[in-house]
Amino acid sequence: MMDNFKRKFIEEATEHIQDIEQALLELEQNPSDKPLIERVFRAMHSLKGSGAMFGFEKISEFTHNLETVYDLVRNEEMVITSDLLNLTLASVDHLSALLKEDADLSEALMQQHSRLMKQIDEFVLADSSKKNAAVELTKPNIESEADQKTYYILFQPNEDIMSNGTNPLFLLDELYSLGECLSIPITKKIPSLDEFDPNKCYTTWEIFLSTKSDINSITDVFIFVEDDCELRVNLVCDYNLLSTPLFVEKIEDVRNKQQEIGLSQVQDFVANMVSPEVKQLQKSKDEKSIQGLKDQTISSIRVASDKLDQLMNLVSELVTTQARLSLYAETDGRPELLNIAENVQKLSRQLRDNAFSIVLIPIENMLTRFQRLVRDLSKELKKDVVFEAEGTDTELDKTIIENLTDPLMHILRNSLDHGIETPQVRIEKGKPAQGKILLKAFYSGANVIIQIFDDGSGIDTNFIRTKAIQKGLISHETPLTKKEILDLIFIPGFSTAANVTDVSGRGVGMDVVKRKIADIRGEVEVESEINIGTTLTIKLPLTLSIIDGLLVKIEEVYYVIPLSVIDKIYAIEHTKLMKAFNNTIVLDGEQIPFFYLRNEFGLSENNTTHEQIIVVRYEDKRVGLALDNVIGEYQAVLKPLGKHYKKQEIISGATILGDGTIALVMDTNKAIKQFAYKTLITEDSK
Amino acid sequence: MKAGATVITSYLTFKLGDEMFGANVAKVLNILEMTKITKVPKAPNYMKGVINLRGSVLPLIDTRIKFDLGETVYTTNTCILVLDIDLNGEAVHVGALVDSVQEVLEIEEAHIQPPPSIGSKYRSEFIEGMAKINDEFIMLLNMDMIFNTAELSLLRESSGEIEVGEEKE
Amino acid sequence: MAKTILIVDDSESIREVVSFTLEHEGYTVLIGIDGKDALRFLDGTKIDLIITDLHMPNMDGIELIKEVRALPDYQRIPILFLTTESQAAKKMEAKEAGATGWIIKPFVPAKLIEAINKVLR
Repeated sequence: MMDNFKRKFIEEATEHIQDIEQALLELEQNPSDKPLIERVFRAMHSLKGSGAMFGFEKISEFTHNLETVYDLVRNEEMVITSDLLNLTLASVDHLSALLKEDADLSEALMQQHSRLMKQIDEFVLADSSKKNAAVELTKPNIESEADQKTYYILFQPNEDIMSNGTNPLFLLDELYSLGECLSIPITKKIPSLDEFDPNKCYTTWEIFLSTKSDINSITDVFIFVEDDCELRVNLVCDYNLLSTPLFVEKIEDVRNKQQEIGLSQVQDFVANMVSPEVKQLQKSKDEKSIQGLKDQTISSIRVASDKLDQLMNLVSELVTTQARLSLYAETDGRPELLNIAENVQKLSRQLRDNAFSIVLIPIENMLTRFQRLVRDLSKELKKDVVFEAEGTDTELDKTIIENLTDPLMHILRNSLDHGIETPQVRIEKGKPAQGKILLKAFYSGANVIIQIFDDGSGIDTNFIRTKAIQKGLISHETPLTKKEILDLIFIPGFSTAANVTDVSGRGVGMDVVKRKIADIRGEVEVESEINIGTTLTIKLPLTLSIIDGLLVKIEEVYYVIPLSVIDKIYAIEHTKLMKAFNNTIVLDGEQIPFFYLRNEFGLSENNTTHEQIIVVRYEDKRVGLALDNVIGEYQAVLKPLGKHYKKQEIISGATILGDGTIALVMDTNKAIKQFAYKTLITEDSK
Repeated sequence: MKAGATVITSYLTFKLGDEMFGANVAKVLNILEMTKITKVPKAPNYMKGVINLRGSVLPLIDTRIKFDLGETVYTTNTCILVLDIDLNGEAVHVGALVDSVQEVLEIEEAHIQPPPSIGSKYRSEFIEGMAKINDEFIMLLNMDMIFNTAELSLLRESSGEIEVGEEKE
Repeated sequence: MAKTILIVDDSESIREVVSFTLEHEGYTVLIGIDGKDALRFLDGTKIDLIITDLHMPNMDGIELIKEVRALPDYQRIPILFLTTESQAAKKMEAKEAGATGWIIKPFVPAKLIEAINKVLR
């Protein structure tokens, strides 16, 4: 059972650590941002509190002082310096390591542990001029030697003690459970009935407790009511006074007479027997009150991935069935049925949007690690590099994101290590001293595209070629296109780094990247220009997805074009289309290149008067696609075409219509690229 | 030959033109009647298109074209075999068009001969063996190889005109 | 009639351990993931004890305690809060807000039960 809790803790701790890291990176830009500081503090606090509970004592120990430091920061008693940030970032890495290693802590890790802790301590000590928050020690509950001692306890609760749910009698019960007990209730303060407030406590008690437990156990009983009462605990003697009949008689006598006895009397009594030792307890109160800042984070819950998969499956099936319902309702024609079908459609659309927002995660969550990598590595390599990201709200399956992180990190390392030049070299080349790495993400058909651009030195194809010949991967004479040469970097064992640096490699090459991406059914391509830069393009399938599309028809086949790429739809006369010169047509006063899809798909000319042109966005241009008919908007539940159609680029998936017919989902980007290549329209692509 | 142990395998027999073929029933998930085929543009000619199989999209291959027997002409007997193919360790479903489906035969290992090495129109990797049943020869096929995604031609190179395009997956 | 305890903590692992321990002891457990979430239970439902963390998003423990004390039905309900040792001043604040007592983190389940027994019977 503990394993379960432990696992939960590890998940939570990982999130906390990520949160801290993110906040720290942001703090670098805004060192006095209170909400960020609060975030770091809270996460440290949480790690500390839960760490020891789930077996991670080292983590608890480690975060203890970090928590103190950030507590000081948030009370504005300490300022965030870059030293502190660096140390904290290093600590974050250490925490991650502690989380993984768990029980078997390696020598190296322990050394790092002590080293870091010392450094953190220095920060705390440096603040010794101001008073720190007092550290309260938990009182150990040791049982002293078998001797029973007798204590005199004066318990005088404040009148309002019961207002916070305390019941003084429960406290007495607890004392009684510690040993032998005799008590004298002092009721003289109880007012007359008309003034009597049942919510108030007017009674005081004198209690004699003979116990083997130590004095801390006694004060522990009152630990919750420290401030709501007057408490005196005095050791009366080192033996069980209550076993002395004389004493017991005396107490009972006092009780019956509704008097009180008082400590000195007891002491006198004992002195006549043995000399007592009086111990006084002092409690120190800390007066500083700290104002906490409120944080508006969104509460979140964790859901197991298979539950999410189930949810997505059900939603997909619902959408499909709803399509059939709509179709049926339309054919049937009854207004009430149509009404209901429409409502079902609205609801299923909402449900689908909702489910998607749960399952799909925007890419920006990955970015912290990348920013961190770029920051740390560029410093290490003495290069000036800025990392930017576009399209970070593009969403992907959680599992895909998890599997994508490693390959992307590797690509970034490569860019930083081999791609981007040092500021000096860059200036010599006439480039700005600061290099740039850009991560771009966007949708294309039924895929998500992630591109990483760097404006570094590019890949030298001659160098690659020579290396490949050297390694016997290609022969001298083989004529290769530039793309083919660049693709050589994906061959296993092909490492072009003259000396494999620690950074990008112990022989881990682009082949591993390609394989890892293939594992999540994606593809990767590289493009490069000497001294201009390198671009890596990763294409990933949207596995479970429902896209908003436009349903169209060409000959007998239905196609779906994603709404996201569509600019405008025009109706056009067939003759105009046929007469168009150079595949360009004028629409809305603008010259738009277009493709007649029937031609492209090898079908005969359409025998009709009117057709449709869908103008879509392609790169930064607008291109028209002429087809037979536009049916209407359609929510397409994407289904993969299968491995046999892997080569097929124009069609990126299929969907099943309400009546069971299959509609093919078009990737307009790929399609236009192919058509254009064939008809040799000049483009920038190679 | 193991003493006493006779290995009997069940094969589903089907016809392409006049030729009889057999497929290991372990590879055949289902037999469907002809249904609506959605043609996917710009695909190899033996990829007939896709069909809707209970909510899944199933690619359909014209087996006749693969065997160089000309395109399938649809008759009432034309069927689709839903096959479970092993693709580099992954189980993939694909549909195969056949002219007609015959029956399931239980053939003993002893009655299976290796494929002919000379004079056969087809490459031997695709044929598991030949069996003689009732005076007729049935070509037992290696479905995994034939319906692999690599666009391999089934024909022996000596056949000449057919373009052999071998793609590495 | 089983006693009902409301647990409020933004850490799922803590919530799980505590509710597991308490349910094992025969208590009925209600769960809030932060102060704001916890308030929804305070609609007249019979609750015998509230155990809350102090540092939570949306509404922290101190505020929750104050809110609880402001409700007539729950003015006298025992409230325990979770705290780490170094938070002595926070303890003061929580007590002033109306808390009955505290449980020090980290705690073993036995300690938890002990603390609960101090205020519940």
